[in-house]
Amino acid sequence: MFCNLTRWLISRAEDRGKEVPRFAERHAARCGACREYALFAASLSSRLSGEAPAYLDKAPDSPLDPAAWTAEGAGCRTRAPFRSRFVLHPFPAAVAVLVVAASALVLFLVVRREPALTSTEKLAVIASLKSVVAAPAEFRVAVAEAESSLARERVILEKSVLSAVEYLQARLNIRVERKQAPKSL
Amino acid sequence: MADLLPIEQKTDEELAREARAGSRRSFEELALRYKRRLFVYFRPRLGSDQDAEDLVQETFLKLYRNIHNYDPALRFSTWLYTSANRLAISSYRRKKTAAGRLGPEVADDSTDLAVRAAAGEMRSTGLWDAARTLGGNQYRVLWLRYGEGLTIEEIAASISKSRLAVRLLLHRARTNLMKRVGPAPGRAAVTVAVRETPPG
Repeated sequence: MFCNLTRWLISRAEDRGKEVPRFAERHAARCGACREYALFAASLSSRLSGEAPAYLDKAPDSPLDPAAWTAEGAGCRTRAPFRSRFVLHPFPAAVAVLVVAASALVLFLVVRREPALTSTEKLAVIASLKSVVAAPAEFRVAVAEAESSLARERVILEKSVLSAVEYLQARLNIRVERKQAPKSL
Repeated sequence: MADLLPIEQKTDEELAREARAGSRRSFEELALRYKRRLFVYFRPRLGSDQDAEDLVQETFLKLYRNIHNYDPALRFSTWLYTSANRLAISSYRRKKTAAGRLGPEVADDSTDLAVRAAAGEMRSTGLWDAARTLGGNQYRVLWLRYGEGLTIEEIAASISKSRLAVRLLLHRARTNLMKRVGPAPGRAAVTVAVRETPPG
C-alpha cells in the first residue's frame, strides 16, 4: 500500500528538485522494489539525456521546403484575416432558420389572438372600476372594526399589568412609581 | 555582440528574435535545429514517417507565419512545442474524422511498433525506443522533460495541462518505463539513490 505513495513522493521530489520525504526514504530503505524505483528515477534524467542524440540521429533527415513558407507567408499577409475563419455550416444554419421562423410564428399567433375590446366590454370595465372607487367606505368600516378589537385587548392588558404591580407592592412592601406613562398606554 | 557570432553558435532565442525581425536565414537555422526533434516528438502518435514529416513541415510553416507573435521573454522551445501541440491536435482530429474511427494514433502506433519490432527493424533497445511505446501523453512529457529539458511549468504551458497533471504523467511514464526496461543498472548505489535525487 505504501509503495505507490512512496513512488509518487519520489517522483514528486524528482520533479520539484527537493529532497525525498523522510517517510518515503524510510520505506524505500526497507522495500527493494521502491529502492529500485528510486534509483531508476534518479538515473533517468542522465540516461535519457545521454541517449537523446543517438535517438535523434535515427530520425530521417528529410529536407524541409522553405519555398512553401514564403509562398504561404506571402499569401497570408495579403489575405483578409477573418475571411477564412467564418464558415457557415449548412446544418446549424438550417436549424437556426427554423428556430427563428417558429418563434416568429408563435409571436404572431399570440399577438393576433388578443382582439380589441367591444363597447359592451368597455362598459363592464367602467362598472368594475366604479365598484373599486366605491370601496373605501367599506374599507374604513372594516379598519375601524379591527382597531376597536385591538383597543379592547390593549385595555385588558393594561389592567393585568396594573394588578400585577399592585400585588408586587403589597407582597414585597415596596413602592413602584411610574415615571412616565408610555404613549400607547 | 550576438550579431558577430556565427549563426550556428547563436542561441535559439537570438535566432528567433532575428527571425522575428525578418531574417529568413535565422529561421532556417531554427528549422534545421528542430526538425528532427519535432519528428521524434510527433512520430509515435502518427501512423507513418510520412505523416510525421508532413506535420513537421506544417509546423514550421505555421511558425514562419506567426513568428511576429513570438515573445522573446519565453524560451523558443516552449513556444515551438506549444504551437506544435495545437497543430498536432488539429491534425489528429482531422485524421480521426477522415478515418471515421476513434483513437487511430494510438492504435496505429502500437500496431506499427509491434510490426516493426517483430520484423527486427527496431534494432535499438534504448530507453527512448521503449518510451515510444508508452503512449502519446507519457511519451510527450518524457520528451519535453528529458529530451528538451523543459521545466514542469513550461511543459504544462506547452501541452495545455496543469502542473499536477504533468507531474502525474511523468510519474506514470517512469513507472511504466521501468516495467518495460527493468531497473537501472548499478544496484550497488541503490542505498544512496534516494538521497542523491538531482534537482529537476
